[in-house]
Formats: sequence, structure tokens, C-alpha cells
Amino acid sequence: MEKVYTSAEVGTKNGARQSWLARWMPSRTNQRRYLLFLLLICPAFILRIVTAAYPIFQTIQLSFTNTDLINGTNKFVGLRNYQSILTDYGVRGALSFTTILVVASTALDLILGMLIALLLNAAFRGRGFARTINLIPWAVPTIVAGYVFRWLLDDQFGLLTTWVYQLIGIHLVVFISEFSARLVTVLAYVWKDAPFIAVIFLAGLQGVPVDLYDAAKVDGANAWHRFWSVTVPLIMPLSITMGLFRLLWSLGSFDLVYGLTQGGPGVSTSVLALQVFRTGIMFFKFGMASAISVVLLIFVAVIGLIGLWLFRRSEVSY
Amino acid sequence: MNLSSVFRSFKANSFIIYLGFVVFTIIVLTPVYWMTRSAFAVASDLYKTPLIYFPKPSLVNFNMLMQQVPLFQYVRNSLLFALATTTATLLVSFMAAYAFARIRFPGSGILMWVLVLSTALPDIGTIVPLYQILKNMHLLDTIAGITLILCSALAPFTVWALISFIKQIPYEIEEAAIIDGASLPRIFWHILLPVTLPGLVTMGLINFINAWNNLLYPLSFTTSNTSKTLSVAITEIYNSYSPYGKPWELIMTVGVAMTIPIVVLVMFSQRAIIRGLVSGAIK
Repeated sequence: MEKVYTSAEVGTKNGARQSWLARWMPSRTNQRRYLLFLLLICPAFILRIVTAAYPIFQTIQLSFTNTDLINGTNKFVGLRNYQSILTDYGVRGALSFTTILVVASTALDLILGMLIALLLNAAFRGRGFARTINLIPWAVPTIVAGYVFRWLLDDQFGLLTTWVYQLIGIHLVVFISEFSARLVTVLAYVWKDAPFIAVIFLAGLQGVPVDLYDAAKVDGANAWHRFWSVTVPLIMPLSITMGLFRLLWSLGSFDLVYGLTQGGPGVSTSVLALQVFRTGIMFFKFGMASAISVVLLIFVAVIGLIGLWLFRRSEVSY
Repeated sequence: MNLSSVFRSFKANSFIIYLGFVVFTIIVLTPVYWMTRSAFAVASDLYKTPLIYFPKPSLVNFNMLMQQVPLFQYVRNSLLFALATTTATLLVSFMAAYAFARIRFPGSGILMWVLVLSTALPDIGTIVPLYQILKNMHLLDTIAGITLILCSALAPFTVWALISFIKQIPYEIEEAAIIDGASLPRIFWHILLPVTLPGLVTMGLINFINAWNNLLYPLSFTTSNTSKTLSVAITEIYNSYSPYGKPWELIMTVGVAMTIPIVVLVMFSQRAIIRGLVSGAIK
């Protein structure tokens, strides 16, 4: 750590000229330094308190009421919202697809993200090009990606449907069946997110010390062995952190589904976030929407705890 | 170096790599190609079989779009929203990041973690109370309102990334200025800003893209043309037609208008952006 001057020292060093700031910043015990710290962090904290912490508590509170802007009700109703969630068609569909989406897209994101990172790290002509276009899926607005995939899969004039027909002679009508709509949604999520994961993995790969590979090579490990026993353990904590953050972000948003399937057919590709939006912002059933939000928060908390546990287990030192 | 040496020992490794490269390129670029092709074409060329892969280029869709919606106003709103969010987020985050990186304060580590972990709260979980809060503040249906909310959502990640940028700068530079009796604004403008500029540009780019692409807040909190963004406009065009006759040429045209500026930005600044994404994720 840098040497800390007391105000007296600064004063003597600099003769008569001593700014008010000099008395603030470097002194060890000064209350004024604390004041400066608090002043600097307070805008960020006020923002977070007003638009995140306080609203979360309000969400929890609202979830026990039947607040509804259209009917004008706002009474305490205990757990009734939660009871109706259990039987609500939309929420149940959203709950099951959210679970599927979270598991499937995270697994595919990590696997494909790793493969892309290996590709981007390999030495070949065109690597610069590959690294550049790798950022495109991340940069394309999610809602636009949703619509583009919908149009790519149009049953009459879509490019992908045409290719599938030309290749195997099957005429795809993707958005009619639950299975294909869900599959396509998961794959579109992966198209959007895997390249981002790859960016992080690539940085991780570049940080793995070369001598570890050399040591493994001397011990007679083949390429596959070296990958599994050197690379994978070393970048495991990073993968888990990334997977986790990705998960939590995608749980809170519905952009892709909103563009691609609008939750359909029926509610088979709806996600909890979309259900909150529909119930709360489109139909103004604030109480009910808040209860769904709380379910989502519990979901997030469970995933966060599992992630933390995995992270703790996977930490290695070298 | 590292993994490339792993690959080198694979037999036929270059074949696998090039195959992977080709597949990767096709998968990444196909949607982009399809969108661009559909935007710069005459509508009738899109609804023909067999498909026309390279229709005659045309800007007719942009004209159509401008007759139907106030496109320039939406572009203006999106730009204003993105620029305001970027500026506000950088300002707020830089102050906090500087405090966390440089000033010793009991419990500052805990405060930092509270701030950073608050990003884990899903944005949608607060949408209903936020609606009421904005309404009470008379900020519903204003760009200022959505800017405020998104700024708050982006700040934790920005603080986190900026801390690692600031910590890479030797403290001696500021220390010398402080001892010389420079004022706080002077230290900021002449000493801190030049050295942290790369970090600020990086986080500025990332936040700009995030804001430009954001759908949730404009969709939830804006209703009139004076505050709606492009992301809302594209959903409205889609929703205003029947399921069996979507005007894909118009939807793709808005898509292109939203995507091209961002993709160009990314192409020119990919190194800076990657540095930012990584600095937030690692460490």
C-alpha cells in the first residue's frame, strides 16, 4: 500500500501551500476522508436503494394484497395470490419452461461457449475475423434477434425451414408444437449467449500458465488429457461464475421470448418474467404480478445458492 | 502458446479447426444476412418460393416505415435514452468506483459486495413498484424516468469493472497532485480523467449498447411517441398485424436500423469492449 501522509507531514513538505484536499485525502484517522468516501458512493447507493432495494420490499408486500389498478382493489389477502399461482395455467407453464430453459440453455451455453473459445484461441488464418464476428450475437438487440429467428423459421418463406425441407424433405411448422417451439427458443437463447460466454472463457484460457501444459506433457498426458486435467479444473470457478450470472440475467428478462414466440403455443414457451410483465404491466394486476415476482426471486435465490456451493467446491489453487 | 499447442497435437487438427470456423461463421452470420436481405428488398420479393437469396436492393421499406411511424423521433428517443443513461451511469459509477478503489473506509469491502450483488436481483422483480414510483415522481412516460431506472440497473456492473481499471493506475500520480495542492476538480480533469479514459470509454460503449438494446423499461414505462424507443417501435409494428400477415420487411427494417449502428460500433471497438466484459467477469 502507498505511504500515507498525515496532514502535518503534508504541510511541512509543501511549505505554506496546503490545500483543503491534502488535509482530507491522505490522513489516516480523518473523519473528512470518510465523509468524502460517503459523498462519492452515495449517488450510486441512493439510486440502488430507491430503484432496487425498496421496490423489492414493496414487491413482497404487494404480493400479499389484491392490488389491481383496473378493479381499484388493494386489500390484504394473505396467501391467496400464491394459492392462485399454484393453479394458474400461465404461471405453471412459465414455471416449467423457465426451468427447462435455465437448465438446457446454460448447459449448452457453457459447452458451446467452451468450444468457441477453443476455436478463437487456436492459431489459424481467419482467427481475427472469427473473434470479430463472435461479438455480433451479443451486440444484436435481443428483441430483434427474436423477430429474426421467427422470420428465419417462417413456415412458408423462412430460410431455415426451406433448408430443412431441402435437406431432409420435412416441412417444419415450428411454432405450432410445444416441443419444437421450446427447442427453437432454447437454441435462439444459445445463439445469443454462447459467444459472450466464449469471450470470458477465452480470457480464462489465455490466463492458464503454459508451464502447466508443459509439465503435463512431460508426464505423458495427451491433448485430451491435458484439456481435462489442466484446463477444465483451472477455469471451472470462472465457468460457474459466468454460468450463474448469465442465468440470473436471463431469468429476469423476456425479450427473446417476447419476439420469438410470445410465450406460445399456449403458454408452453412463456417464462416467469413474461408472466410478471403481462399480469402487472399489461393487465395492472399488481398484487398477482408481485406474487409471481416473488416466486421468481425464490428461484433466483435457490440458483444463486447452488452456484455458490458449486463455486466453493471447484476452487483450486496453482 | 497454451491451448493452440494442445490443438497442434491433434491429428488432422487444422481440418477440425477450419470446419469449426466455417460452421461457426455460418451460424453467427445467417440471421444477420437474413435480416439485412429482408430489409433492403421490395416486399413482394420476400414472399415468393423458391426463395430469392439476393433480391434487388431497395430502400422502399424505409420510406414505407416513415409513412407509418415517426421513425426519426424513435431514433432520436433511443439515442437520447442511450446517451443519457451512459453519461449518468459513468458519472455515478466512477465516483463510487474511485471511492472503493482509493479511499480506505471501514466496511468498504462489504458495501462494495452489497452493491455488486444487487445486480443479481432480476430487473423484472421490481417492475410493478417501479411503475408506481415513476408515477408518483411524474416520470412515467418520460425518457428521464427510464434513464434513471436503467442507470441504476447498470451501475453495479460498471462500478465493479471501473474499480479494476482504477486499481491498475499507480496511485503516485494522484498523490503527487494532492500534495501539490491541486483542487478536486483539477485532479479529476487533468490527472484522473486522462489515465482512466480507456476504462471509461470501454464501459461507456458497453452501457450505450445495453441501453440502446433495452426493451423492458421503455416497453413498461413509455406510451407516447415522444418517449418510445426503437425497441418498443419494433414490437408495436409486430403486434399491430394479424399473426398470418406480419410485415416482415418492415420489422426487419427497424431491426436493421437498430442493429447496424451497434454492430459497426462493436466492429471498431471490439478490443475495448472485450476488455470491459472481461474485467467485470474476472478478478
